[in-house]
Amino acid sequence: MPANALTVVVHRSDPEAQHSFRVTRTEPMMVLDLLLAIQREHDAAIGFKYSCRVAMCGTCTVRLDGRSVLACQTPVPPERDTVRIDPAAGLPVVRDLVVDTAPFWREWAKVTPYLVPRDDLTEPAVIAPDAEERQLIDPGLDCIGCGACFSSCAVAAGSRDFLGPAALNRAMVLVADSRDAAGAQRLAAAGGAGGVDRCHYVYGCSAVCPKGLDPAGAIRQLRAWRLRPGSADDR
Amino acid sequence: MTVEIPDPADLTVVDTDVAVVGSGGAGLMCVLHVKDAAPELDVTVVSKGAVGRSGCTRMVQGGYNAVLDPADSVDLHLRDTLEGGKFLNDQELAHTLVTDAPKVIHELETRVGCFFDRGPDGRIHQKAFAGQQFDRTVHRGDLTGIEIMGRLRDQMFRVLPSELEDVRALDLVLDADGELTGLTALDVRTGKALLIRARVVVVATGGSATMYRIAAPAREKTGDGVAMCWRAGLPLRDMEMLQFHPTGLLADQARMTGAVLEEGLRGAGAYLFNAVGERYMARYDAERMERSTRDVVSRAGYTEIMAGRGTSAGGVLIDISHLGKAEVERLFPGMVERTRQIGQDLATGPVEVSPTAHFHMGGVLIDRDCRTELAGLLVAGEDSGGTHGANRLGGNGVAESTVFGARAGDTAVAEVVGRALREPDRAQVAASLARTYAPLSRTSGETPFPLTAELKDAMWLGCGVVRDGAGLRDCLGKIGELTARLEHVAVPGPAQVNYGWQEALDLANQLAVARAVVVSALHREESRGAHYRSDFPEQDDAQWSQYVVLRGNAEVETHQVQHTRLSPEEVS
Ligand SMILES: Cc1cc2nc3c(=O)[nH]c(=O)nc-3n(C[C@H](O)[C@H](O)[C@H](O)COP(=O)(O)OP(=O)(O)OC[C@H]3O[C@@H](n4cnc5c(N)ncnc54)[C@H](O)[C@@H]3O)c2cc1C
Ligand code: SF4
Ligand code: FES
Repeated sequence: MPANALTVVVHRSDPEAQHSFRVTRTEPMMVLDLLLAIQREHDAAIGFKYSCRVAMCGTCTVRLDGRSVLACQTPVPPERDTVRIDPAAGLPVVRDLVVDTAPFWREWAKVTPYLVPRDDLTEPAVIAPDAEERQLIDPGLDCIGCGACFSSCAVAAGSRDFLGPAALNRAMVLVADSRDAAGAQRLAAAGGAGGVDRCHYVYGCSAVCPKGLDPAGAIRQLRAWRLRPGSADDR
Repeated sequence: MTVEIPDPADLTVVDTDVAVVGSGGAGLMCVLHVKDAAPELDVTVVSKGAVGRSGCTRMVQGGYNAVLDPADSVDLHLRDTLEGGKFLNDQELAHTLVTDAPKVIHELETRVGCFFDRGPDGRIHQKAFAGQQFDRTVHRGDLTGIEIMGRLRDQMFRVLPSELEDVRALDLVLDADGELTGLTALDVRTGKALLIRARVVVVATGGSATMYRIAAPAREKTGDGVAMCWRAGLPLRDMEMLQFHPTGLLADQARMTGAVLEEGLRGAGAYLFNAVGERYMARYDAERMERSTRDVVSRAGYTEIMAGRGTSAGGVLIDISHLGKAEVERLFPGMVERTRQIGQDLATGPVEVSPTAHFHMGGVLIDRDCRTELAGLLVAGEDSGGTHGANRLGGNGVAESTVFGARAGDTAVAEVVGRALREPDRAQVAASLARTYAPLSRTSGETPFPLTAELKDAMWLGCGVVRDGAGLRDCLGKIGELTARLEHVAVPGPAQVNYGWQEALDLANQLAVARAVVVSALHREESRGAHYRSDFPEQDDAQWSQYVVLRGNAEVETHQVQHTRLSPEEVS
């Protein structure tokens, strides 16, 4: 096999479909470029998804050799001559690498993910960039809903009754937001049956997040607020 | 494994009050406005990609222009917009944009839940963006689009429209009397067609600009909305006005090629060098240098590359490392990360860039309430034409999509009243389905991929940053050839989640839009804004204070631009 060739093994829904492909390496080459090469050169109908190709839409999540990644942002590992690409875990497969993300968004919806503005919020709030709440919130924004955390969390991907890291991170951000009036309701959801107590602190979520978010930290923060009732209302 | 063309009588029918096609900034603002004003209305979002996570509003980096500072004024914003647009703008649309933008920023902050960056005084921070006389660009770091679309997507969990995700709109369908009845659509997951009957249809698919070799937008943006409207006989304007962003990344064959390095870099003081180390902007705009408008900077870069002063990969160099590594990382974390992905580093040295096809100023003719010539059909966002004239200012794009999306929602609420659901003309539905399923039902023929690549090359060379009559005519010939070859394209099954098939459908729309761009570009025998003809290099105000309109296959029309708010003489 030429030095610049790579074997790519792809999960296919149809057991009869070709699942192993030889692709020529180019430089730079992301996992997405591998899939596009397969689509162009081997099987036009191979199923995979992407949109922005710049880590902004979160629709290209796959598992590369078992690890949840964004296909568009993950370079093909230089040292390997074979890689394996599977669909994100914990979500029903529609076809090949395409999954139905509905379960992820169902959990997201449960934390009341939208701002419930306080009655007096008629003008953009005056909040200093270094305000305490922004220190909590800013690192927790920019979630692209890619589900990598969900897919890599044994509890979320395994069962169907855990809000999961991304939704809890969203809850934390909103609870910390002084513009919001639904903190108590969200803390109740986060503290309820499918909430923070299901987390086993494996930290898989924070390790895989392609946007560098720390959902495990958010879960810890939510627990701290629960243990000190009232503290979230001051925020 | 071939697939039969479905019978129109067997289609799944979805009835709704308002069908919103597209779920970018325009689409979701529209949904929000309909649902907040009239919660009883049934709203259906039809989205080719993931709801709220497809399209380019997501990808907005730089930010959002809105007048918030008392020292700024909407008149000044209007003036910047018209000067930027080289006075080709529909001034009523531009005026609507600048007047509504502050209101919509308020709404995004206080109702939708976005949080934009603050200055030290705790108030919304506004930064400099090229081509503007006041620092008025609202932003959230350099990932403004994620904040806006993330929060709009969250609002959908409050207002709960029906979401048809991964469903692509195919064609508008009328009834026997020529009244709008709705649209045909294709569920990309199942491969099944749908008939959506709606009292009002809002088209917001985000334009095109993907039919170039180097291009910035998201994959879905293949001109579907504009092509749909054009097939339904609606007039298009300013189609020759296609904006190239001056600084697209070059990453060889990787899909990342064309991704934008944001304009804020130049605003913050980045330098542009050619391969021989000259800060070449001095030759093109000595006063504004790198802060000049997109059209000027793109053309300068392109000219340097074509004159043999580009890098071996066919680019020029952008360098902001003189601000210091830590400062560049702090100001532009997203951009730094992006360059590191491809083995370069914006924080410590120059990065190779090329002009990249970015935004389509042209589109469907609308009025300030997003109405079109066809009753019940509204168009908003990048699919519409006229707001930006010959050149869009950075920061006016997301303002346009959210401002006009919101207005389309308001108009839809009014328009629904008195419009009943109608029965579509069977023959139209059948024709739409036949066209759609043809590539899948053929057993042999070439795949669409080489055709797409050929179109992108032809447009890059023949109808790109610099154009001339001969090149445009060649390009038109090539488009004709590709259109004929598309009739024989075959894509292997299955029908479910088949992006090879989707590519063939995309290509049909890209070809339709590309033809309109080239025809308009041939017609405009002058240079203005983004449209530069090397055979007519001057802006010719005496002859060409006119906008070009295309309608079906009829003759090209031109109409005098009405300077209802400001004339070029008043600013010179
Ligand atoms: C990389 C990049 C950076 C940018 N940065 C800025 C910036 O800093 N400031 C600024 O003002 N502007 C910027 N723009 C421009 C701005 O993104 C656009 O002006 C604006 O977001 C367009 O919004 P839209 O709602 O019209 O379309 P989009 O947000 O592009 O949404 C289009 C939607 O239509 C859907 N769709 C497409 N075809 C179909 C179909 N057939 N059926 C159903 N749905 C369909 C897509 O899935 C998507 O949901 C940038 C553009 C790009 C590409
Ligand atoms: S928290 Fe990170 S990994 Fe999880 S969905 Fe958001 S961006 Fe993806
Ligand atoms: S394609 Fe958008 S995040 Fe990868």
